[in-house]
Amino acid sequence: MGATWKELTKGLWREIPPFRLVLGLCPTLAVTKTADNGLGMGLAVIFVLTLSNLAVSALRRLIPAKVRIACFIVIAATLVVGVELLMQAFAYPLYQRLGIFVPLIVVNCIILGRAEAFASRNPVHLSVADGLGMGLGFTLSLTLLGALREVLGYGTVFGLCLFGPGFKPFSFMIEAPGAFVCLGLVLAGMNALTNWQRKRQGLAAVEGPGHDCKSCGLCAADKK
Amino acid sequence: MSTFSPPSPLLTVSAPPHAHCGRTTRGLMAETLFALAPAAIMAVLVFGLPALRVMALSCAVAVICETLCARAMAGTPAVDDLNALVIGLLFAFLLPASAPWWLVAAGSATSVVLGKMVFGGLGGSPLCAPLVGWAVCKLSWKGAMDYDLSMLSSSLTSPLAQLKHLGPQAVAGISLQDLLLGQQLGGLGAVQVAALLAGGAYLLIRGRLRPHIPLAFLAGTFLTALIYFYLDPAACAPPLFHLLAGGAVLGAFFLAPDCSSSPVGHVPMIVFGLLAGCLVVVIRVYGVYPDGVPFAILLAELLTPLVDRIRPRPLGVG
Repeated sequence: MGATWKELTKGLWREIPPFRLVLGLCPTLAVTKTADNGLGMGLAVIFVLTLSNLAVSALRRLIPAKVRIACFIVIAATLVVGVELLMQAFAYPLYQRLGIFVPLIVVNCIILGRAEAFASRNPVHLSVADGLGMGLGFTLSLTLLGALREVLGYGTVFGLCLFGPGFKPFSFMIEAPGAFVCLGLVLAGMNALTNWQRKRQGLAAVEGPGHDCKSCGLCAADKK
Repeated sequence: MSTFSPPSPLLTVSAPPHAHCGRTTRGLMAETLFALAPAAIMAVLVFGLPALRVMALSCAVAVICETLCARAMAGTPAVDDLNALVIGLLFAFLLPASAPWWLVAAGSATSVVLGKMVFGGLGGSPLCAPLVGWAVCKLSWKGAMDYDLSMLSSSLTSPLAQLKHLGPQAVAGISLQDLLLGQQLGGLGAVQVAALLAGGAYLLIRGRLRPHIPLAFLAGTFLTALIYFYLDPAACAPPLFHLLAGGAVLGAFFLAPDCSSSPVGHVPMIVFGLLAGCLVVVIRVYGVYPDGVPFAILLAELLTPLVDRIRPRPLGVG
């Protein structure tokens, strides 16, 4: 039970997908104009991710290693078609708002990443917990980002008006550049929080990005 | 085991450099402010007290934001280097005199926080800070940023907007002298062309500004406009009009040569200036917005890391 709980909770903070793993950025940037768009997208991803982890994990001894990526994509695509039909039947306005990004869940890095890195190596119950946790983390992140952008860009949260008629909407936040700026600020805030926690535990602060950044020419040129 | 402790130092050598020419960031910024002063005075003369209100508010908000950010960020260098004041003033130069107070405050704060401080303070930003604020405001509040709104309180017209909406015949009657003296509607300081030229010349003579970027920028604007004018004189404005209308001169002397976001080498600086100048006219001809200067400079700045790869070959290699 402890192991399952651990896999479930790691997606909520320690490895929260868009903010810690920095995966699945395409929907994170594209559909977070409002909080309910983010929530709807997140729910669709929870559905696909949990079931794809379940299927991949259950079939992990049958799938040949050489064609595993193709198999993962077939499983994800099947589930996405299911989600698409369900949304068309029960949440058509949301389906229209999310548009092309519902079919694009197939190629979402989180789905393939969790299938490859976790579900194909672990038993079914752990994989389901992992998928559910990651999906929940993804949903929370998207809803948070959507709420932030909606408050600034429209002055509303989930459609509820927060400010009076004198509010001048900061439309920059609901444009594409606003998504990047908002994501960047949230990432910076997460890093600042981590360093603050590490400082309280008496550990040294983490300087610079945690990932490999050689491909960017901006500061790599200085380091040479 | 005996530990060796060094004797008290007889000769202390500090880290190099040992000789210093006396130039400081603060000095550079003070001279930039001095060079901008004539344009600020002209702006108040042409647009009246509202111009002073916008400039003062923008500078005050920029300095306050910088101080707050420096407090929040441990290890940030001193805030008294006047850079915030320059950013605030340059941002105000891009605004219409009719800008409401919340627009000025939000834009100035965005310039400093999003354009400079999130990248780690002075010298870290890949984009010119006042232009970041301008772009964010332009995307958010198109109406309040529209220069034509100040037509209510002024008899001047905006030559670039007329060129965009009414065609080159509408601007044929505008004399170049009027454009030089700031008799046009536009950004507060951006249209004070003669004063900006004087300020730019001062910086060039004092050696605070290398001539590559400003001259290449003006040459790029002029040549591109000349090509368009040569191709179809009936559909395009003459090249000198493009140089003197709108913010081309402000861009050439004060925005494009921004220290942290423009290239370093001789050839890269010239390429950068030509590119930005060329884009100004291209955006003015094809774009949605009347004036293309800020967007042209922002686009060229994004190419700075690429342009900076043009380097002289090291001696004896290859």
